[in-house]
Amino acid sequence: MHELSIALDVCRIAEEHVGAEVLARVTAIGLDVGNRAGIEIDNLEFCLEALLGSAPFGSGRPEIRRLEGNELSVTYVEVEDDDGS
Amino acid sequence: MTVRRIDVREKVMAKNDELAVQVRDRLHAHGVPSLNLVSSPGSGKTSLLERTLDALGARVRMAVVTGDVQTQNDADRLAARTDRLVQAVVTGGACHMDARQIITALDEIDLEDTDLLFVENVGNLVCPASWDLGEDAKVVIFSVTEGEDKPLKYPRMFERSDYCVINKIDLLPYLPFDMDRAIAYAREVNSDLRFFFTSALTGDGMEDWYQFLTALARVEGAIRA
Repeated sequence: MHELSIALDVCRIAEEHVGAEVLARVTAIGLDVGNRAGIEIDNLEFCLEALLGSAPFGSGRPEIRRLEGNELSVTYVEVEDDDGS
Repeated sequence: MTVRRIDVREKVMAKNDELAVQVRDRLHAHGVPSLNLVSSPGSGKTSLLERTLDALGARVRMAVVTGDVQTQNDADRLAARTDRLVQAVVTGGACHMDARQIITALDEIDLEDTDLLFVENVGNLVCPASWDLGEDAKVVIFSVTEGEDKPLKYPRMFERSDYCVINKIDLLPYLPFDMDRAIAYAREVNSDLRFFFTSALTGDGMEDWYQFLTALARVEGAIRA
């Protein structure tokens, strides 16, 4: 039920790491989510797909690795760069 | 175009946890113990607090931060029972309270004039378990109309709580509720849970709860002195 709040925090973390002006070029956000993290993973994925597919993001998608335990963390952000930039 | 991967390795909710540490530090600096009341909707959190404010208000200086998804109804009910400040937090749709809301609420409370802080969370047995509000302990309220197996269905909330108030015991004669089984299920997920058995409506069993709260406030008061 609180997956949207979690998804928004994921977006905040991504923005902190890449900067607001780069969000439109984010292609993927990697997450580790444990089966005891209190998260409905399919719901979190749905929320992230919605958020990462619209402004200030462009066409990003979540890449969720399902683990045992309480883990809930953002592991990487992938950004598309212009060649030579 | 090339894709560049930036390593992050940051825990989600770390921001909330940082703010919860600030809440905890602030409360401890003033020697104010705090309890976060969590439960499903309608289990009697507000009624328990109403009766507690009535019974202990003259002896224990209690402050309440109460959260609801919409309306200030609970805050209004509690404010009618005390001259002290009741802080209302309307989460505007969110299914839980977060530590930032507590920090904002604490700005309005004179902690030097407070012996005990209650946070009445949004009625929900799932989401509030994930948010540390900086409280000393969670108290899960579990009413006998809910069925014995709630601890097994919502284990995280019972795992995260230190205390369990089994409420509405006045209704036991009318319900097929098996108290022994309920306690066994709760202990199955958290063997350290301490129980209280209350009726916030009739007052039955409240004395044990009052003694616990009075001791909690007094112990912390001694530390402050």
